[in-house]
Amino acid sequence: MKWRIFSRKKGKKRWRLIFRPRGDVSDIMALPGAVVEGRVAGRYLLSSTGFQSTLIIQGVAKKGVLAGVDVSVDREAVEKYQIDIAYQPRSGRAGLRPAGTISFEDMVLDASDRFEPPTNDPEDLACIIYTSGTTGPPKGVMLSRKNFLKVQEFTQKVIKLGKGDQIVGVLPFFHVFGLSNVLIGGLVHGATILLVPQYNPTTLLKTITENNTSFLMAIPTMFLHLLRLLRRRGSRLPHTMRLCVSGGAPLPQEIIEQFKEKSGIRLIEGYGLTETTSSCCLNPPEGISKPGSIGLPLPGIEMKVCDEEGNELPPGKVGEIAVKGESVMMGYYNLPQETKESIKDGWLFTGDLGYCDDEGYFFLTDRKKEIIIKGGFNISPREVEEVLLSYPPIKEAAVLARKRGEREEIVAFVVAEKGTEEKEIINHCQRYLASFKVPDAIQFRDVLPKTITGKVMKTQLKDGYKDRRKIERGGSDWKD
Amino acid sequence: MIEKWALSDPELPALIFAGEKITYSQLNREVNRVANGLTALGIKKGDRVAIMLPNIPEFVYSFFAILRIGAVAVPFNTLYKGGEILHILEDSGSKALISLTNFAPMINELIPELPELEHVILTGERNLIFAHPESTVFIQLILQKNQMEDLDHAYGRIGNLMLDIVRSLGVDDPWYKHRGSIRVRGDKIAAFVISEIEDMYLINVIVFLTPLDINDFLRVVWVPHEIRDKMLEPLTSVQEEAGERPSWDRIKECVTRRVEKEFGVEITDGNLVRDELFGYEKLRSLAYKDR
Repeated sequence: MKWRIFSRKKGKKRWRLIFRPRGDVSDIMALPGAVVEGRVAGRYLLSSTGFQSTLIIQGVAKKGVLAGVDVSVDREAVEKYQIDIAYQPRSGRAGLRPAGTISFEDMVLDASDRFEPPTNDPEDLACIIYTSGTTGPPKGVMLSRKNFLKVQEFTQKVIKLGKGDQIVGVLPFFHVFGLSNVLIGGLVHGATILLVPQYNPTTLLKTITENNTSFLMAIPTMFLHLLRLLRRRGSRLPHTMRLCVSGGAPLPQEIIEQFKEKSGIRLIEGYGLTETTSSCCLNPPEGISKPGSIGLPLPGIEMKVCDEEGNELPPGKVGEIAVKGESVMMGYYNLPQETKESIKDGWLFTGDLGYCDDEGYFFLTDRKKEIIIKGGFNISPREVEEVLLSYPPIKEAAVLARKRGEREEIVAFVVAEKGTEEKEIINHCQRYLASFKVPDAIQFRDVLPKTITGKVMKTQLKDGYKDRRKIERGGSDWKD
Repeated sequence: MIEKWALSDPELPALIFAGEKITYSQLNREVNRVANGLTALGIKKGDRVAIMLPNIPEFVYSFFAILRIGAVAVPFNTLYKGGEILHILEDSGSKALISLTNFAPMINELIPELPELEHVILTGERNLIFAHPESTVFIQLILQKNQMEDLDHAYGRIGNLMLDIVRSLGVDDPWYKHRGSIRVRGDKIAAFVISEIEDMYLINVIVFLTPLDINDFLRVVWVPHEIRDKMLEPLTSVQEEAGERPSWDRIKECVTRRVEKEFGVEITDGNLVRDELFGYEKLRSLAYKDR
């Protein structure tokens, strides 16, 4: 009897607890790492103590960041804000790999560097890129090998890339602009791409100045950041730079001029969609760039402006912009109906509203689906946004419609200086806008939700917007 | 096209990354290696392979390798979270996903809902963990693999254990479905990832105790203003759900008791032993080495 009780107690395994509520941030990695290494090494060396399961409970005494070795950290800020920063050593032999996954490095470890590719048809599907629509889940845009090659051919007629060119690869390659115009565009023509995996303005400027950079494609926000940085430092961009191209979101006119003046480099604006494998319209690098224009269709691309029935409109008339050419997508993945609605007789209807001038330059006004209809009038949110932005305390603005009972209301979401009041904003609008266009309500925000290229995501400002990043208990599909 | 340059100008630099040149010839060979690696995993013409990577050489190798095989590349935004990722992987029917190691916890959670996804391939050392004295507690378990049947079992068991712990800290209605996230409504309150090293599992858990103010951290690791709100997944914390932040003693008590009960063991206070102290000092000096 006595023996059995003793045995049961003895038989209960003992685990060890390491409790450190006020450790350093490095302990989060070093404590379990030490137990693991001790176990691995202990088998061959030193003591023969058996492995003991270990529970560690820890917290930190001061704010800290534990970063992978590839993360770039601002050392000055670390000192200034007293942040404890520790690096995770590169995972080696006893490396931490989430169970059930494959390491990229292991996958290629013993792989041959010769490969016999199968015959690939240029018309084959090569890539699916998802774009968020105004409604519903993101749609997969199907692009073929030919789409990618054609867009390079068309763009090359305007922007001549070649051996010896160094292009900044700061636009993310998962986005069509970076993928098609920078990565594929550069490699097709034998250029060198300077990879920037983690954008910040200082790194971007450093990348440009420390190489023989000739070419920068970026989004408006990045040009704005660069401009501020050049201004602060009183410096210019190196003379090896030939051209800067902006796309992805509308580029404010004053930035184009100020950028040219400060940097000494010409900045031109272009236009493209995922559905057109990126660029389809560009201001000519030499010759006339028109203020506010997205430029001329690339050679090989046709563009027109259409009315509701799809009839072509004469210059100066606002309608939907349509694009035709061999860089137009194959369609939306698994969505034949949506494909049929957007591509008619080879013309892709972009959903962007705009017009064309007598010389063939295109101008954008609004997104078709964002037009506000109030009391029978069509109101351009862009027009209202421009008036709002002309009021100095307002930094960002997005205008959309909201249902209030039977009525449509205009709501303006603004990022403004502290202390700015609704009344003064409304007064400003009343001075420059017809009364039916004046916002009915102003909502102040710290920041407006934006896409990776800097376009405001108006859907996220609408009533009843559902955060798709969340995972709900009952499943997380897009059907409401 | 890469092949063409690799033949005519093998030494021409194609990429420059972290100060190092990668020539067209090297790039061509790397693309071939990845193409062979993917082929060995069973990827073939027409299969969809998703890429969730920033602009690092592995993105370039993977993208062109996928095309070389005749498969279909599905690159997508590295800022996407939860439901956004799920939709893309599900809709495209991707057979493999190439991503960063630090996204593993997020992806893990989605795997059981993606029967077509056969392989998760991870690269890079871009982990970023914010530790705050008040807001975060880290719980780690190092145990032998044979204490669990398999990985699914381990995820199920640890998930339920964590659910229990979170509940015992006063949180009313947490839920756990699979692989790594304890949530309240749609928000994350705790997360864990299981790693394997030889015959051991290392289980890393983070529990959010109070709302995490990431502004200080963003001064150190610069993130454009526009995307700051997308850095983190929607989070909640014990304080927000239970009304108060539990004391360290209470956390110690709750966690220890529940682990004891779950594994039928007795847990006693301890510390690192000799063999382990070597490793501890080494790891700490590497962590604080000047760069």
